[in-house]
Amino acid sequence: MNVNAAVKMQELQKKFRRTGMIMGILSGLTYGIYSTFVVIAGQKEPLLGAAALVMAVAFVTCGLNDLIAGIWLLIWNAKKGKLSELGRSVKTFPGMMIIAGALLGGPLANGAYLLGLSLAGTAAIPISATCALFGAIFAWIFLKQKLTIRVIAGMIICVSGAVIINLVKPEGATNFTLGIICAFVAAISWGLEGVVSSFGGAILDCDIAVNIRELVSGIVILVVVVPIVKGMDLLGGTISSVSPMVWLALSGLSAAVSFLTWYKANSTVGCAIGMSLNVTYALWGVVLSVLFLGTELTPTMLIGSVVIVVGAVLVTMNPLEFLKKEA
Amino acid sequence: MLLPARMAVLNRLSKVESASIEQMMEALRPEYGHEKQFNYNDYLEHMMALEANGYATLKKYEVDGNGKIILFYGITEDGKVSVEKYVPAQYR
Repeated sequence: MNVNAAVKMQELQKKFRRTGMIMGILSGLTYGIYSTFVVIAGQKEPLLGAAALVMAVAFVTCGLNDLIAGIWLLIWNAKKGKLSELGRSVKTFPGMMIIAGALLGGPLANGAYLLGLSLAGTAAIPISATCALFGAIFAWIFLKQKLTIRVIAGMIICVSGAVIINLVKPEGATNFTLGIICAFVAAISWGLEGVVSSFGGAILDCDIAVNIRELVSGIVILVVVVPIVKGMDLLGGTISSVSPMVWLALSGLSAAVSFLTWYKANSTVGCAIGMSLNVTYALWGVVLSVLFLGTELTPTMLIGSVVIVVGAVLVTMNPLEFLKKEA
Repeated sequence: MLLPARMAVLNRLSKVESASIEQMMEALRPEYGHEKQFNYNDYLEHMMALEANGYATLKKYEVDGNGKIILFYGITEDGKVSVEKYVPAQYR
């Protein structure tokens, strides 16, 4: 190997690493922004007035957000000349697995996540980040991946963080524990989604996989789930109101950017580092809620969030490896 | 019906010892060459994503006459298993 080639390769790898890191951080930040904007949308009429219909509000916001994210991604893929990939992909087995994953990650996980946000407030954000823990457990059960001491230690730290958050209930949150349970349901479903979409999902273009996921999730929620939870009137009212729709358009855009950059990070710096950077959304989400939603930051919430993120990072990667790669 | 592009890249990789991005694009040009997504950056991304997921590996690299770095990728055992499992038989 000549020196010139080695130098050029080093430059290329450095460039990839930098891009991947930026993408990973951006994915975490935009997921935090999505989580905040979706709550702001819920504070606008008619969603605010329907706050008693917790399920309907959660699914209307979730369905519209995912559908709008899917539309943003359609625009992105059209610009990249990839629309024909959508039809090709859904006809393959991995494509069908993405759809199955979307049903878990969409109606079940996103619905539970937003229900958790509305019941437990900001505390639901870091709890949902325990999906890394459930992902590792399911990969151990179904994919026979080994659980190392580092992963188990990370899991224990994650659980400790969740316990810390739940120690002190914020004032006024009457269904706090139920909200936390919903956030756990979301985390479990996302963990399962990760496993389901690992059946060949990686041999499809991630821009396309994400687009299928968001569209399927949005459509199924709006067409199947919303009528079941008697939310059709609320859905009609929301679509015809400017204020919540503007926030949902922005939250959908943030979610779309978050997914795109997450996968981009995974393919440039590896899934472990990519996922670790993405999971920082739990911290971003809490910080943004304090800044823009006037959420009171309790010491338990702050400590718990940091502990969960540390645990989730430990589950997904070896911090020593991160330092080694940086050097 | 064409395979999704990334799957086609992995499928092609299963038939050769190794291939550079440029060679891969040449091989797939007859079927995908007219599409807007048929460009170097997207194909580099396909290879890198396959590599990140353990389906492909960087075999070697060299610099061509124009000073451009050429990356050669090969398929891994996991990649071969995935082709067997997920690529429909008529394309393999």
